Amino acid sequence: MAAIETTQLRRSFKGGVHAVRGIDIAVGRGEVYGFLGPNGAGKSTTVRMLVTLLRPTGGSARVAGHDVATEPDAVRRKIGVALQDAALDGLMTGRELMELQATLHGIAPADVAPRARRLLDRVGLAEAQERRVATYSGGMRRRLDLAMALVHEPEVLFLDEPTTGLDPVSRRTLWEEIRRMKAEGTTVFLTTQYLEEADQLADRVGIINQGVIVAEGTPAHLKAQVGRPHLDLTFAGDEPDLERARDVLAGFGDHRPATEGCHLSIALQDGAGEIAPVVRALDDAGLLVASLELVQPTLDDVFVEKTGRHLEGAAQPPEAAEPEAPPAVVT
Amino acid sequence: MRQHLRIVRALMRRALNEILRVPAGAIPGVLAPTIFMLGLSSVFAAAARLRGYHADFRTFVVPVGFLQGAGFSGAATGVNLARDIEQGWFDRLLLAPAPRSVLLTGIVASASMRALLPATMLLTVALILGVHSPGIVGLLLAAGLVMTLAAAAACWGVTIALRFRTQQAAPLMQIGSFVAVLFTTAYAPHRLLSGWLQTVSDANPVTYVLEGVRQGFVGSVTWTHTWHAMLAATGVLAFFALFAVRGMRRTGAE
Amino acid sequence: MTRAVFALARRALRNTFRRPQFLTPLVAFPSLFLAVNVGGLHRTTSLPGFPVVHGFLDFQLAAAMTQSLLLGGVSSGIATALEIEGGFFDRLVASPIPRVAIVLGRLAATATLACLQVLWFLAIGLIFGAHIAAGLPGALLVVLIGAVAGTGFGAIGVMLALRARNASTVQGIFPLVFVVLFVSSAFFPRDLLASPVDAIARYNPLTYIADGMRDPIISSISATPVLEGLAAAAAVALVASTLSVVALRTRLREA
Repeated sequence: MAAIETTQLRRSFKGGVHAVRGIDIAVGRGEVYGFLGPNGAGKSTTVRMLVTLLRPTGGSARVAGHDVATEPDAVRRKIGVALQDAALDGLMTGRELMELQATLHGIAPADVAPRARRLLDRVGLAEAQERRVATYSGGMRRRLDLAMALVHEPEVLFLDEPTTGLDPVSRRTLWEEIRRMKAEGTTVFLTTQYLEEADQLADRVGIINQGVIVAEGTPAHLKAQVGRPHLDLTFAGDEPDLERARDVLAGFGDHRPATEGCHLSIALQDGAGEIAPVVRALDDAGLLVASLELVQPTLDDVFVEKTGRHLEGAAQPPEAAEPEAPPAVVT
Repeated sequence: MRQHLRIVRALMRRALNEILRVPAGAIPGVLAPTIFMLGLSSVFAAAARLRGYHADFRTFVVPVGFLQGAGFSGAATGVNLARDIEQGWFDRLLLAPAPRSVLLTGIVASASMRALLPATMLLTVALILGVHSPGIVGLLLAAGLVMTLAAAAACWGVTIALRFRTQQAAPLMQIGSFVAVLFTTAYAPHRLLSGWLQTVSDANPVTYVLEGVRQGFVGSVTWTHTWHAMLAATGVLAFFALFAVRGMRRTGAE
Repeated sequence: MTRAVFALARRALRNTFRRPQFLTPLVAFPSLFLAVNVGGLHRTTSLPGFPVVHGFLDFQLAAAMTQSLLLGGVSSGIATALEIEGGFFDRLVASPIPRVAIVLGRLAATATLACLQVLWFLAIGLIFGAHIAAGLPGALLVVLIGAVAGTGFGAIGVMLALRARNASTVQGIFPLVFVVLFVSSAFFPRDLLASPVDAIARYNPLTYIADGMRDPIISSISATPVLEGLAAAAAVALVASTLSVVALRTRLREA
């Protein structure tokens, strides 16, 4: 039995907005499923339906063996959720929040405190547990959010952009935790706008755009489907003749939307061996290449292939970002 | 059932947490009924010279303060829920595998407890200033009616919060309880009210709740006034609770 | 300068009307209070010592106006504080306009709003049977006193916002509004107030402002209450405006 299964799942809103237009997803038990898509593609709406916060307007979905529409309580008992905004009560301490969450999820009273302590220790918040959450940094809040999602040992864990806005160290820590959960057999449904994250963590990836799944498979399989590396070219001069350059390059491969920072981009028909002939052809045509870069297929290439545009956030997450300072205490 | 009670207790603890940890935020709501009582009784004291009051104006108007406190507590609960919705905390509550009515009970029960704070403040000041004590029975009755009305006001606040999902709807929550408490025999006995207000107060169930709280202060507690008040209070609570439960159940369906 | 003040005033007014949740306290609450006070206490006009009036509504209109104007002042302060919190205030400071125009623009908007508030209560008073004894000249005097007083209350709100810098602190003075109102003769004749409120009311400028607005409604225009009302309103406006300009300068110096 799949951990998550949707059949033509749909959600429309008032005013004729069709956010999700009939998607079929099947996520196996113990799998990490990466769910990608640009802003407004229907990612969050899909997640909210799967976690029973939003009712589908068409189709069906089963999570952990229960129907989200007819058995929402049963679904909630078996899932853990860490949504995009780590919604925490700043006036409470980490321990108090964990214990509240445990109580809400029916953990036996005698087990509430020990379980809370254990999980806070696991995510590295043991020392901060008696501090009010308003004093936590962004990374600490995400870790607490994750710990709260795990308090009742869910079968399926939904993580909605868990590392957005985190510094690289906090991101790596969270990645380790996700790998650990996978090793423990938890199914993880991960939405992210960082391709590297999906590439690193996901067993399979689904790409959603404008409410429909446009591609699904393992990262390796998807990239292999795209197959070809592409060449990003930047020309010298203030106003290079790009029309002429396109004509010259037409014989070497298909044009594709140019990556940010370069003038033209082509998917090479015959791979890296084409680089020298390309440069010679451009040189013969009097077009001076300022720089060129050979780029192996990425998930963004898959996205471009399927939708004709780049996935926002296709750029790497900021590596040089300063760790977030703890927010000011809120009273 | 025990699990449900645990959830209700946990949610009440969280709500009361806010008052204890940010007392500055709660103080205006706690003091306001007392300030109103002192102000009104200083300004309109001479009105009690008119026939029909059977008590000085301050004694007459103290029960209004109790109900105002209940109204403020209910509105504050609604505003807090709106804030929780805006900040995403409410989603976390909705993800708990508990019936929506249990979550609502936890939210609303905290308003009932909270209403005892302004009531206690008001009673203390009133007794110091010489207002006649209603006795233990009168006080217990008053406490029960105040808590029930606070829960009703909280249900109204919750309904508004779920409908508009923003703290900017706060005035709507406040006006509701304001109208309910003041469009009664708040300032004068029934026979002294103008015609339209007599009609409105007759139709307003909170009038009976007010008279139920007031009876011990201006005279003695009678069974007639008491059961009228209890019926009215539970009726108002049941009415608004229906809307609040419906709002909770429909969240996510729209 | 005039152009800047006018533009800022127009902006402030437009924003006020686009946020009905800020308008509600200015108008709805005082109107409801008015209804309850009149409906509940209209028989008090028969008490010995109560001035001769056409009806209790005539007497209470000034109270509702004063209350509304005070709440308008707090709203002005909240709006200013939100601008400071949101950064728009800094944008104004960085623009090539006289700094004092920032305060004057807000006050001009408050004065305009004050006129509308007073007119609202005059209108609903007339609709529900009130009688303006001094006729149109009386009504204009009421609007004048109200506009000046409203400007003063707005200046108090702006001054608080410049000092506090956040909206919730300014919002916290709402209960104080009622305290100040209660220790005046806004709601009831001074001679019928209980002690010690009657003594405090003697020194409360709201007493003279409310009485000044009341006089043209309940009787023909009498020089003393009207002039006292105008003087009290002008004094509040002058002192508060000066203090708010000082607060602005202090804030800019500290930045």
